[in-house]
Formats: sequence, structure tokens, C-alpha cells
Amino acid sequence: MTSVLISAIKRLHISITPPLRLYSSNVTVTPANTNLTITRKEWAFQPQYTKPREVWIENLDTVEEQKLGLFELHPSVYAASPRIDIMHQNVIWQRKVRWVSWAHTKTRAEVRGGGRKPWPQKGLGRARHGSIRSPLFRGGGVVHGPRSGKSHFFMLPFYTRILGLTTTISAKLAQDDLHVVKDLELPTDEPGYLEELIEKRNWGPSVLIVDDTDYAPRNITAALDNLPHVNIMPVYGLNVYSMLKHDTLVLTIAAAEKIEERILRLLHSDTRQQQRAFQLDQV
Amino acid sequence: MSFLGLRVLDVLWKPTVNIVRHRYHADKTRLVRRYGYKEQIWSGGLLPRALGKPLPIPEYRPSNAWTERRALFGQNDYIDILGPGDLHPVKTLYTVPSWIRGVSGSEYHILLRKKKMWSKTASPAIRPTKWKELQKRISFLYRKLNRKTKTGFSPD
Amino acid sequence: MGSRQIVEKSLSMLRSLPRISLANIRDNPNCKKKSKRGRAQHGGDKHGAGNKGSGQRQNFMRLGYETGNNPFYLRVPQEHYYRGHHLKREYPPFTLLQLQTIIDKDWVDISKPIDIASIIKSGIYTFYPDQKQFGIHLTDEGLDNFSAKINIEVQWASEQVIAAIERNGGVITTAYYDPHSLFLLKNPKKFFESGQAIPRRMIPPPDAIEYYTSAKTRGYLADPEEISKERLKLAQKYGYDLPNIENDPNYNMLCERKDPRQIFYGLQPGWVVNLKDNCILKPKDQDLLQFFNS
Repeated sequence: MTSVLISAIKRLHISITPPLRLYSSNVTVTPANTNLTITRKEWAFQPQYTKPREVWIENLDTVEEQKLGLFELHPSVYAASPRIDIMHQNVIWQRKVRWVSWAHTKTRAEVRGGGRKPWPQKGLGRARHGSIRSPLFRGGGVVHGPRSGKSHFFMLPFYTRILGLTTTISAKLAQDDLHVVKDLELPTDEPGYLEELIEKRNWGPSVLIVDDTDYAPRNITAALDNLPHVNIMPVYGLNVYSMLKHDTLVLTIAAAEKIEERILRLLHSDTRQQQRAFQLDQV
Repeated sequence: MSFLGLRVLDVLWKPTVNIVRHRYHADKTRLVRRYGYKEQIWSGGLLPRALGKPLPIPEYRPSNAWTERRALFGQNDYIDILGPGDLHPVKTLYTVPSWIRGVSGSEYHILLRKKKMWSKTASPAIRPTKWKELQKRISFLYRKLNRKTKTGFSPD
Repeated sequence: MGSRQIVEKSLSMLRSLPRISLANIRDNPNCKKKSKRGRAQHGGDKHGAGNKGSGQRQNFMRLGYETGNNPFYLRVPQEHYYRGHHLKREYPPFTLLQLQTIIDKDWVDISKPIDIASIIKSGIYTFYPDQKQFGIHLTDEGLDNFSAKINIEVQWASEQVIAAIERNGGVITTAYYDPHSLFLLKNPKKFFESGQAIPRRMIPPPDAIEYYTSAKTRGYLADPEEISKERLKLAQKYGYDLPNIENDPNYNMLCERKDPRQIFYGLQPGWVVNLKDNCILKPKDQDLLQFFNS
């Protein structure tokens, strides 16, 4: 059994490149024969033992994919450990944080009527009863029923949420479901163009596009109006649930850098304020 | 007359009574239940059917997973991490009423908060029955939790 | 292939696995322990409540009750150590060792004067002005290891602490802040965002005047001449050579003090700090200037 497993793992051809790399500081190399741009980045917090991830910069202005350049992503954000359990905890938190159950039943005190004793205590040969709204009666109150306004709110620890983001992004990148595009300029506002592009490039049917601004170009917003399974979000709207719900994640260069910058800054700064237990008056 | 005859017979005739001291197992007869019934291996068959119209089955309506609400579910939940940092995600839960937004607690805690926040609105005057029932429930829960619920020593 | 590159390995294994989606994620198995009431022959016996008595019936005695004895907490006669505690000023302690630690870790910049705002910003110290806490009491723990040359302003300090700082060529001042000023110093950003003008610092209450005007305690209202005499006296008492700060390259920094009406270094009362436009608004009206300078 173990030998089968070992041979299966060997067949995966896991190749690990040497962890250290010499940096040439922020150089943009343009080879003579092609017009590829290769960006080497200089982060405020350099990766120490892992090498940066490299992704192709793609375009959206033609249906066929064109590789415009190479782009480096920080491994602390884009090559974090893929933790399925942390993704699960994040998704559960996202579902529960806004979940309020409005199911409601009335108790015997709230059901209308039932103040009068239905029949005398003695002398009729019937069971003794004090109210026709007692839980024993048809149409009476409910005992231990659901009461309206049951909240399921809780806050997931701050770093579990950061880890949720990094682990999901890393898993998306590792599974080739993350694409970096130069910008969101489309030649036309026809939704058919975008559908064809998604089909041609073998992106999953559902695509989440993330830009760093609130305002997207007109063509793409008009095209997305009629495509419910292709959605666009600003960077601050990005979340674990949406990344997992959509098959493919498409980031613009600016968005990829902004996500990287925000998470790296939080990973390397004093976050005691954010890590404190949630209190209602803090928000 | 027959009545009289019966009374006479009753008086004159005495039946002989044998007292049986032991009843042996061999004398007992086994009671056979469900005589003549044979259990079949397959006792199924067609389900009973109404002759007229078929039984009502609800029409299958698959839910659309890509309505706007579902497609963008969870947006802004990480706004304190990815945003400028001065907004908490609880503040963006616009669909949840303010008196329960970001609150976790038992029914009693939530009702106390609801009462506190609703008392400043016109709600007590507009919906007096609702308001009265809210207060009735709070006093019921107060009595239940403080006078009728046993709690152990505090953990510390 | 290193045996420990688990992340790289798992990411490359993920390439050949189905796409992770909402439908195929799960938590670690058995990570949630459900508390269950035991059932069956022995698990259901007493459910952990024990046999007989208050444990089983869960009618616990109130805390301190000794089944009718005169309880311990009433047996001891009362001694009113804390009578009037709600009226006294409290100075939560901050040790010289902690100060040396934050200097060594570069959590505080000693090329500038240190005050309560910079110590709070380092994150190692906190206090609550609304609970009658009036700032830092610098205590003598770690006194022998202290070796930094600083210009520090605290709210309370003992003689040894003053000696320990002056031995290294540093300067210490004890200064009083009223609770409102302390709120500002504790969270300056929150105050600046409110858009109000920086208020004046209030003078000390009558029972604190003596401490803050005394040269022995390096009070901020004391005469500078007296202070330099006391510095020399303290050096002779503890037997160290007082470094001459006039010849120090950081002489200007070491001589920097706040005005008795000033709360923040570099900001005068009456000024408004505009964080949005990154500028400072200063009053020009004569009445306002007179008010804030009085």
C-alpha cells in the first residue's frame, strides 16, 4: 500500500527549485526578439526561504491569449500553505456572520385568547384544564419553539481570516485558476465576446474579475450585465466565498499588487488592535 | 316458568368440581396464532393509486445559483484586511437590522438589546401589542434564568 | 528534493487534483469535540455530578459560606487599607528594564525626547485615564542594567531612577497632565480626526503642586537653576560623575522641554491638526491667542 502511494507521489514529478535567488533590483528586461516585459520586484518584505511565483501577464483585448510579460508574486501571499480546513472555517464564518434566523412560534402567553377556564375543574368527568391555549391543545402555544431574531454571529480570529485569503489565492494559483491581466479594456461591449474569450482560454464558466478601483471601464461593465456568472469586484470586496464559488479568478496587475501590499503589511506590523476580541462598540 | 325451573335446577343440582393441583406441560395445548396465514418472501406490489388524477408532486424548480445576491455573496467580508483599514466588516452588513447586527447572545440578551434600541423609536406607540409581548417575554426569561435555573460555581 | 518543503509539495500536488470549490472543502476530521451526556450502563450513571449532596443536586452554597460557622471573610477584623482609594491618583508602573527593552528593540526613538505618547506608541505600556490613572510611574527594576542616554518625561519617579538616568548623561522631568490631556496623548490620532483644537494642559491639583514644583523630583514647574544644583547633589550622594550635557552633541535634544501648557511636542495649544490635508491650522484671532497663551 505504502509503495503504491510512494510511486504515485513520485509520478507527480514534484520539482523544487533552489530556494534562494539573486535579486536584480526592479529591473524590467525587454528581450530583443519579443516584446515581453519581465518584471523583477523589490518588496518591502523580501521572501526569505521561498522563491517568488511567476505568472504570465495576459490580455483581454483579443480572444486569443497573448502573453504580454512575466510578473512576480510574493510567496507569502500567493504560495501559502493550501489549508482546506481554513478555507472551510472562513466559508462557515461568512455564512454565519450575517445569518439571523427569523423563524418564530408563539408561546401560550402570546396566542390570542385562552384567559378563561374552559370548563369547571370538577364534576364533568373531563380532564382538568385552565386554558385553551395550553401546549396540549390544538391551536395552543408552542413550547421551546424557535424565537425570532436568533443570531449566529461570531468573529473569526483576524489571522485565520488573513490565512483564509492567502491560502485560497495560493490554491487558485496552484491549480492554474488565477490569471493576471494587464487591464480590463475590451474592444466591444458584446457579452458574446467575453463568453467566447472565456470558452477559448478554457477559463471555467464562472469567472471573478478583480480590479483595484471602484470604476471599471464601460465596455466590461456593459458586457457583464448579461452574464450572471461572470462578476467584477474591487479589491476590498474580494473574499474566500466568492473565490471558491467562481471557477477562475482574474486579477489586474494593480489588483494583484494591492492585495499583496495589504496582506504583507498586515503580516509584518503590530496588529494587536485588530486581534482583540470583537466588541460591539468597537465598530 | 322457565325462570322458575332454572331457579329450581340451581338449588337442586350441584356440579362436581375436580380440583386440579398440577397442570403439566404436556397437557398444555399450544395456541396457534394467525392460523392458515403464510408469510411470503416478497410482500410488495404496486403502491395504492388513486384512479383519477395522479398524486400531487411539486414541480421541480431549480434555484438560480447566479442571482445577484448569490453571485456576490460575502462581498466586503474582508474589508478590514483588503480595504483602507478603518471599516469593520460588521458595518457592511446592511441587510441585517441594526439591533441585531454583530450581536451574539442568548434570546434574553438579544431581547434586552432590542428593547433598549426600540424604546427610542416610535415602535412602542405604533405596535403596542408587540411591545407588550416583548416585555412579557423579557420578564418571563428573567424569572426563568435568575430564579429557576441552577448554575454551578463560576469557573474562576 | 528536501523533505521539509511541505508547502511546495502540497501546492504542486494540488495541480493534479480536482478544482477546490465550495462543494469539496471540509474541516479537519474530529477537530470539533461535541460534549455529550454519557448514556448506557455506566456512562449514564451520574453524568459526572457525583453522588448525593450539593454536587448532585446542584444547589451550591454561596461563596464563602461555611455551613453556619462564622465565615473566614467575616472572622478577620477589617483593616481599611484602601479607604479613599477612589479619590487617589494612580500611576501604573513602568520599569527601567522595560524602558531599556524598548530602546534596545528600537520600538522608541531616543534621538527625540521621550514622553508618554511615544511609550504608548511602542505598545508595551497602557493605562486608563478614566480610571484615575495619571500616567507613568518609572520604577527602579532593572536599574543596574539601564544604560541609555535619553531625555524622558514621566509622571512620577523615585530618587534612584532619577540618578540612574542622569548617571548615563540623560535628562528626566516629571510632568503632570490632567485626564483630558492624557486621553489625547493616549490616542492622538483619534483626537486629531475629531478636528478639535488642541486644548491647554491644566495645572496640577493642590496636593500635587509640591511634587511638580520641587527640583528634587525634577518637577516641570521647578526652577532650572535649582534643578542643576540638585543634579550635582544627587551625583555626589550616589557617587557618580555627572556627565556634562553642555558639551554633548545632542545638547539641543536633551534641553527640549514642553511648555507647562503644552501637550504634544511641537504642537501648541489652539492648533488644529488636519490629517486629511496634512496641514496644521493655527488661530489668528487675538482673543483666541490670548486664551490659549494664558
